[in-house]
Amino acid sequence: MEMILKKDRLGEWAAKLRGSAEVFAPVFADDSWNFCKVEPGAELTFDHGNTVRPAKGFVFPQREVLYRFRQESGEAPQLTPTLPADGPAVVFGVRPCDGRAMVRNDKVFTCGFADPYYQARRDRVVFVGLACNAPPSPNCFCLSVGGSPHAGDGLDVLMTELDGRYHVKALTAKGKEIAGIAEALFDKAGAADSSEVEKVHAAARSHPQRSIAAMEKVAEGLKRNFDSPQWDTLAQACIGCGACTYLCPSCHCFDINDEVSSHSPLAGERVRTWDNCQFPEFTMHTSGHNPRNTTGARLRQRICHKLLYFVENHNIQQCTGCGRCISHCPVGIDIVRVANVMEEAAGQ
Amino acid sequence: MSDKSSSSEAIGQADNIYLPKLARIAGIKEEVPGARGIKTFRIEFLDGDGFEHDCGQCAMISVFGKGESMISIASPPSVKEYKQFSIMRVGRVTTAIHDMKAGDIIGVRGPYGNTFPVNDWKGRNLVFIGGGVGLAPIWPVIQTAVANRSDFGKITVFYGARTSRDIMYAAELEKLRGAADVHLSVDSPEEGWEGYCGFVPANIMDKPQSADNAIAITCGPPIMIKFVIKNLSEMGFSAEQIYTTIENKMKCGVGKCGRCNAGKDYVCVKGPVYSWAQLKDMPQEY
Repeated sequence: MEMILKKDRLGEWAAKLRGSAEVFAPVFADDSWNFCKVEPGAELTFDHGNTVRPAKGFVFPQREVLYRFRQESGEAPQLTPTLPADGPAVVFGVRPCDGRAMVRNDKVFTCGFADPYYQARRDRVVFVGLACNAPPSPNCFCLSVGGSPHAGDGLDVLMTELDGRYHVKALTAKGKEIAGIAEALFDKAGAADSSEVEKVHAAARSHPQRSIAAMEKVAEGLKRNFDSPQWDTLAQACIGCGACTYLCPSCHCFDINDEVSSHSPLAGERVRTWDNCQFPEFTMHTSGHNPRNTTGARLRQRICHKLLYFVENHNIQQCTGCGRCISHCPVGIDIVRVANVMEEAAGQ
Repeated sequence: MSDKSSSSEAIGQADNIYLPKLARIAGIKEEVPGARGIKTFRIEFLDGDGFEHDCGQCAMISVFGKGESMISIASPPSVKEYKQFSIMRVGRVTTAIHDMKAGDIIGVRGPYGNTFPVNDWKGRNLVFIGGGVGLAPIWPVIQTAVANRSDFGKITVFYGARTSRDIMYAAELEKLRGAADVHLSVDSPEEGWEGYCGFVPANIMDKPQSADNAIAITCGPPIMIKFVIKNLSEMGFSAEQIYTTIENKMKCGVGKCGRCNAGKDYVCVKGPVYSWAQLKDMPQEY
């Protein structure tokens, strides 16, 4: 379903959707772009490159209560699951790399043991993508990992900015539904619109990007260089802050802990929070033995998880080339460079 | 637009992978005293709301208010009325459960992980090699083999602990004699100790086992496992004849929290049981 929305009617669409859903969009606040709730009257401006924090928080929040427990003295504990019961949400301005990351997150959370918390959020959220007409970050490399500035996988709607208007393509049933709600606002897309979209997309693809030179050889390179001393060299500057994985749209590691609010009677919450493979404690056994006990081993885990293990398990890279881990690393560790180094070393 | 949240309400408690079943501690036996003591907990599910398991599988034990720990199930699958877990007091959760009494209620979710291929081993000689609390994960296999004694050839059990006071299942090991050859060891010489003195890998070299038609099953501290496998290989055991069960830190048990992997495998789902033939080509991150 392809439609045209005049730019000055975007606000009306959002207002219409707000009647039955929460609406989120990138907002510039505190010196950075992030997804925020759009309040009535607020203007939607899609001037963002990419948000600092990825869209994954909508389906996998930083902190989430799994269930509450309460135990009166001498009685059995009562467990109350806290499955998300929020109403629908529509998220505008999602870049294709974050959309493609949802496909990866789905593999993790819905394959094998299905995660009901993730599924409930995934069902409620509608992702409205925005094609990148210009590379939003100097560290973008979506083309190297099978993506593109206008890829639609993982998104429900893809919008492409044209002169004075948006081309709006509904990709899923949820996408069609949110367009249908405001049908009167849209015009049918014509042949001229379609050919302009093609031109804009082709131009976007031709922008220079960072590049992993021979992606098809990277997995093999990583395998062959597992014990390479280069890992320690590449990771030498790492301060273990974990920004790379917290800001990654597809990093899914988490911790589960109990937060106690009362000791008598015992009451509290079992809570899931984002965790981080760059922390030594992440893998440390209670005995003190740590299978990944060096910074090099932890960098290797992050890169191998994205570009080797996930490929072995799911046939796709777990990285979608958003470049956040590069842009926000305080010491300049660079997944593109690491992949190229490992691939070159494999060829030698 | 239609309210999609209704689908989440349709998810019943039974489908919630993070929600434990409640179980009552029916009995506690102190195996090893001290700061790093070991206790065996016999648990019974409330309202018969349990699950069946197979040899080698684990379960996530909850002490509410403290957290969860992944513990191997030490009772054999043939026992349906209860499950046993032998737990060393080391961290926050294991210390909390050590402080619990019979009648107290814990949470249990599982079973998790793969299993020892015990049925494939019928007719073969079995050599078990355990160290420390690492006897617990292979104990259900030993119990199963002994209960079906005629299905298997010679059964040999090596077990070592730091000192004689650290030996777990001491009475049960004595009872095994007759059905199995039992070789105990302690790390250093002690007055009155008649068994072997030295580490477990050295004890198996002291009593070399024939690899003919044999399967070796080992579990213990990672460093012990590595030397046991080396020594078994020297005795002629092929990689396909050696099995171990590995541990890694786990939080979810269902292949999602991301920390227990050795290479592409999440140990909680694809492991914990591996043959050395499988394990030797994987990243040694365990």
